[in-house]
Amino acid sequence: MPITTTRRRLLAGSAAALALPAFARAQGAVKPRLTAISQWSAGSDGAAITALGKRFEEKGGIWQHSPVPGFTTEMMNKLRAQIIAGDPPACSQLKGPEIAAWSKIAPTVDLDAVVAAAGYEKVVAPDLAKLHRPAGKWIALPLQIYSTNMLFLSKRAMDKAKADKIPVTWAEFNDLAEKMKSGGVAYPVANGGTRPDDGQKFEAALAGISPLAYRAAIMNLEKKALEGPEIKAAFVQVRKIADWMDPNVGAQHFSTNLKRFVDGDMGMMIMGGWAQGVLRNAGFKFEDFVIAPGPSDNGKPVFLLNADAFIFWQRKEADLQAGQTLMAQLVMDPAIQTMYSQITGSIPVRTDVDLSGEGWSDGQRRTAAALKDAIASNQAVLSLAHNMAQENGMTAAMIDVITEYVKNKTIKPEQAATRLADAVESAR
Amino acid sequence: MVRRLPEYLTIWVPLLLSAAHLIAFSLWTIWISFTPSTLVPVTGWVGLRNYSAVAASRNWQIALDNLLLFGSAFVLLSLATGLILAILLDQRIRGENVLRSIFLYPLAVSFVVTGTVWSWLLNPGLGIQKLVHDLGWTSFRFDWLIDRDMAIWTIVIAAIWQSSGFAMALFLAGLRSVDADLIKAAQIDGAGPVRMYRRVILPTLWPITITVIVIQLQFAISTFDLVRALTNGGPGIATQLPALVVYDLMFQRSLLGRGAAAAVLMLLILLVVLLPYAAWRYVQRRRAIHA
Repeated sequence: MPITTTRRRLLAGSAAALALPAFARAQGAVKPRLTAISQWSAGSDGAAITALGKRFEEKGGIWQHSPVPGFTTEMMNKLRAQIIAGDPPACSQLKGPEIAAWSKIAPTVDLDAVVAAAGYEKVVAPDLAKLHRPAGKWIALPLQIYSTNMLFLSKRAMDKAKADKIPVTWAEFNDLAEKMKSGGVAYPVANGGTRPDDGQKFEAALAGISPLAYRAAIMNLEKKALEGPEIKAAFVQVRKIADWMDPNVGAQHFSTNLKRFVDGDMGMMIMGGWAQGVLRNAGFKFEDFVIAPGPSDNGKPVFLLNADAFIFWQRKEADLQAGQTLMAQLVMDPAIQTMYSQITGSIPVRTDVDLSGEGWSDGQRRTAAALKDAIASNQAVLSLAHNMAQENGMTAAMIDVITEYVKNKTIKPEQAATRLADAVESAR
Repeated sequence: MVRRLPEYLTIWVPLLLSAAHLIAFSLWTIWISFTPSTLVPVTGWVGLRNYSAVAASRNWQIALDNLLLFGSAFVLLSLATGLILAILLDQRIRGENVLRSIFLYPLAVSFVVTGTVWSWLLNPGLGIQKLVHDLGWTSFRFDWLIDRDMAIWTIVIAAIWQSSGFAMALFLAGLRSVDADLIKAAQIDGAGPVRMYRRVILPTLWPITITVIVIQLQFAISTFDLVRALTNGGPGIATQLPALVVYDLMFQRSLLGRGAAAAVLMLLILLVVLLPYAAWRYVQRRRAIHA
């Protein structure tokens, strides 16, 4: 029975491919293949995932990445269509509580063995790890971390304000903004006009005023915290920020104004660490700007966590399964995380990566240090504006209130606080 | 019968297929709107809960207000602009073909392009306002795009630019089909040009007017890409329109049930426009038969 033998050999080969991809590849039994979708198509994000794909190919794999440009939700639409059609990608971008929500609609891969083999568990922040094993088993792997409340300072705007001290608290931030204004900086706060942009202003304000209130109100949706004084104080701070922003941005992306920021026409930018990658990719130098943790009234850094991750969807094909194992190993590899973060401006998920070497910026070193401090003082919280704290429906309901408040200056802070609490109630 | 089979096939197969698609997906959407579906469609029954949630949401209320304002302003203004253009073109002027193409051309541009171009033109920091400032008139203000009370008018402006050429083309065809004897008779009776239009020509145009109104209204109700590219519902949520809310619920918030409910509500609004039109057409036809 020559046919049976071949089939049996093939099966054995696939099994080996699952257990030991490197060995199986040497045998040539099955070539690992990965179908992946993500929103990363251009700029530093596109460059980083392309580099990851190159490494995948160097290890003998076939890399089939289909980027879906735009916001994360657009990528999700494609993912939803593929899942409903019964043809999910072997691996897709997904993050935060959405991992738990989506894992209920299609079977995912149990990554416990490969995670244990890499010893990954010990080097990931516990809060973050929890999001990636919603039902106890690892089904997704975080790839890189950003803080959404980094403070970018324009060197030229600092010169105009004759200031050189990085503001630590919101009061110092407000002082510096005033100094910039009188020093001739047209708009002390650089901004875009998108929904996450407005959301980031609010989460940075609230978490900076009180990380405890942030955790209770935004992450745990406690009614008492949502009606607390910290929410109102955060809205007061957001109004100050809004008054310093350029109202003309309409619905533009923050990156539209980066040149004006570097030129000192705009002073400070509250943005995720990814702005470093965008700035560098646009040809600006590290000398043009300073990156520091966002304002925190108790002086200790507050870290608003945003982590990109890959979730792995169950596939029957042996080559895709081998590809998933290879991909998982690559994503957890410190060298790969280093390569990835150096392109995008994020920091590695692994807390054991040394950032003192060449290729890292001061901003990234500060971000990594801030994360360590924030974890130690329990001030690392999950970002609302970037869908880490709540599922999309709840997030959108809250951002509605925030974005309207930023754009409509006739809404009073206490009104906004009431509306936020109402929005949460009706979205529950 | 057999000889004409290919003809029947070419007409009926596509017609039945598209009708089946339309009806099947409409029914499917209506069904989903009564289920607790979120990320993916699921079975189950929640009654009118999705509808009450949509109707109570601020986004939907703002969208309805905007639809009323945008719909009426856009239809009336594009009608007026189209009619004026058509009458002016009808004066046997030189280069009519060129002008007609120019006025019709915006229709060939996709709404996303229209929205994007106008979003730059209307942006006070980049477009018209900046141009006038640079020319020296620094107190000039034209910042409707970022003014939440006026932003909806920027959509009216862009929509009129896009589609008044369409109204013009229909009106021009109507003007050209007015019976020449009628015009001559009026001339012999000594009617001047203004009187001629008011009393003789325009009254013959009203069936075309109704057609234009209905087509523009259904466009207004389903407007999506234009707003998305121009203001994306902003500033804040000031320029929400029903189609944006549907998209937002279904694909941004992953609330399929509520999104479907909003879509069904949109369908009902469309019926409010289309049913009277169908009734009117029916009456017209009956009259034509009896006459």
